[in-house]
Amino acid sequence: MNKTIVAAAGALFISAAAVAADTAASYTADPQQSRLEFTGVQAGAEFKGVFHKFTASVEFAPDALAASHIDVQIDMNSVDSMDKDRDTTIRGKDIFDVAHMPTAHYVTKTITKTAAGFNAIGSLTLHGVTKDVPIDFQFNPGAGGAKLSGSAKLNRLDFGVGQGDWKSTEWVGDAVKISFSLVLKPKS
Amino acid sequence: MPNQKFPPRYSAVAQGFHWIIAALIVTQFTLGWMADDLPAGLHKLAMLARHKSFGMTVLMLAVLRLLWRLVNRPPELPGGMSKVERLLAKATHILFYVLLFAMPLTGWMMSSAKNYSVSWFGLFTWPNLIGKNEQAFDLLRATHRSMSWLLFALATLHILAALKHHFWNKDDVLTRMLPFTKSEKRT
Repeated sequence: MNKTIVAAAGALFISAAAVAADTAASYTADPQQSRLEFTGVQAGAEFKGVFHKFTASVEFAPDALAASHIDVQIDMNSVDSMDKDRDTTIRGKDIFDVAHMPTAHYVTKTITKTAAGFNAIGSLTLHGVTKDVPIDFQFNPGAGGAKLSGSAKLNRLDFGVGQGDWKSTEWVGDAVKISFSLVLKPKS
Repeated sequence: MPNQKFPPRYSAVAQGFHWIIAALIVTQFTLGWMADDLPAGLHKLAMLARHKSFGMTVLMLAVLRLLWRLVNRPPELPGGMSKVERLLAKATHILFYVLLFAMPLTGWMMSSAKNYSVSWFGLFTWPNLIGKNEQAFDLLRATHRSMSWLLFALATLHILAALKHHFWNKDDVLTRMLPFTKSEKRT
């Protein structure tokens, strides 16, 4: 009788461990505390902008990277570069063209461990163009969730962000830095 | 103050400051007015970027020029000028110096208030002087504009006065600031 219980408990423990090994915990980003920021160069000086509205769905476990992925949907209309005139220009048809392409989407394809944290290759659909963009990030589990923060670099012209006059990189740089900090809560 | 301590002419350095800054100010008016007429867009951005780079150049030169002026005595005003004329000449020159600082500083603050940091010809970026503030931006823009008209009026007065001295009074007030000339005492 005792042996049966031990065996059953053991089997249960092993199967639980097996489940943990290839499933990742599911999270969503808390919109209040999460931040998605970009830095561009305008007339030789850096400027920062944020997206106020985005949703992130994350399945992640450091020991189950094959089953982990990150999926982010960004409302391009929520761009805020701390100047309403610049925001209007950015939303306009020559730059983000939010009237036709209101959302951007990033979804990871592979995630690997690196010395500093993790690296993901994902496809970014921005301004109707889909291209692979690598991101470097750190994952820190904490009480009641986790924090996922990192950065990426992309060239805006790869995505056709900048038409007409704005194709020139003389006054607005091609390279854009992205940084993000997602406060993750377990998906209920 | 013994008279011989006054130099007869402006030095090459003083002339350099005067004419380089004068040329920059003409450039600044041209760029500023052209940018004002442009719709928001890349061309306006480019025009204002140049305006800011030249403006910061004026500010740097103004600092050097003021230091130079404080340790180097300029030539004396010609004799025969009335008290009122002397006072007017002095006030004009002081106001020029004030505007040489106030114009770039209000421009720099304007950019800061708008959250458009000022770059110097793309080589480096100046720190923002104040935080993002739309009301402050509107006020600073109005001040920058009003002062530009004051500067325009002052420059007109300055040029007319120099010509008056040269052609009417026939003194050396103009020639002593001109490079490649000799100031002969004309009075």
